[in-house]
Amino acid sequence: MVNQLVSTPLFGIVLCVVTFWIGTRVNRWLRTPIANPLLIAILLCSAFLLAFRIPLEKFNIGGEIINMLVGPATAALALSIYHQRRVLGRYFLPIVAGSFAGAATSLTSVALLCRLFRLDEVILSSLLPKSVTTAIALEISTGRGGIGPVTILAVLITGVSGAVFSPLMIRLFRVKNPVAQGVAIGTCSHAVGTSKAIELGELQGAMSGIAIGVAGLMTVLITLLF
Amino acid sequence: MKIITQIGVLFGVCLGGVGISAVLPFPFPSSVSAMLLLFLLLLCRVIKPGQIDEIAGFLTKNMAILFLPAAVGIIESLDILRDSGIQILIICLVSTLLTFGVTATVVSLLMRLADRKERQDG
Repeated sequence: MVNQLVSTPLFGIVLCVVTFWIGTRVNRWLRTPIANPLLIAILLCSAFLLAFRIPLEKFNIGGEIINMLVGPATAALALSIYHQRRVLGRYFLPIVAGSFAGAATSLTSVALLCRLFRLDEVILSSLLPKSVTTAIALEISTGRGGIGPVTILAVLITGVSGAVFSPLMIRLFRVKNPVAQGVAIGTCSHAVGTSKAIELGELQGAMSGIAIGVAGLMTVLITLLF
Repeated sequence: MKIITQIGVLFGVCLGGVGISAVLPFPFPSSVSAMLLLFLLLLCRVIKPGQIDEIAGFLTKNMAILFLPAAVGIIESLDILRDSGIQILIICLVSTLLTFGVTATVVSLLMRLADRKERQDG
């Protein structure tokens, strides 16, 4: 009976939805970005599979169906950027130059720190794209021989730390300009950070949203060369 | 029918993105190809926002759960977390701080230059 239950795609989908729902609830209850809904759902899903000794491939029958939507969701970001096209046109140079500098800093610092800690090439490839939105990061990572799940965790840790520490970093670097605040948040901590940028102000939120796409593109372009 | 049409348009663009990435002579993520293609089609008014807004809104607002299945694959790489988890955490935190600082500084500087130029011109 159990084997039949876990062999349908419904199993993976239901487990994902239930654990994510719990994650969202816990997040609302604790009201801190550290209690990230996705992070909680990953823990619960993994714990469930390990505890009941359910093979990952069974979970993936349904998982594949949800996973398939990542591509269209990334493409759909184009509509958000399109809605912000006036702001993008107005601050074009600062946004593009800032995202480029940020993407280059992120890639270089990860490469140097990996060398410093003597981590191998596989982990380096998995961590390189950690500052960009998950779908783009995954494609860069797996294309270079990285491990997808490690990349997703690194992207999440980066996003959560950006959301938690951005008010602190704004004070530390004395960033007064709202455009600079938004682009910096979006470039270093993608969509998770953007949720915090929206709280800081409308312009910050829009800038951070645009920076997700632009920084993603910059990271892809830079990694093409190395 | 409306939502079916929207799914058709968005997935069609994504398929186009897969095609573009396949013919490009270097490895380029197909979802990024699709994002650029969709942005161009919107700018050229080939696709109107109203033709994809519902499905696009649904997917971008609920993006987080879409990564859950891929992330759960971590249960097959637990040894990496045990051996290098702390290092990975430090790398993410330090790199985030540096990236934020550099980006904010570059944007602030360029905004100040643009302001000064505007004042001189005005």
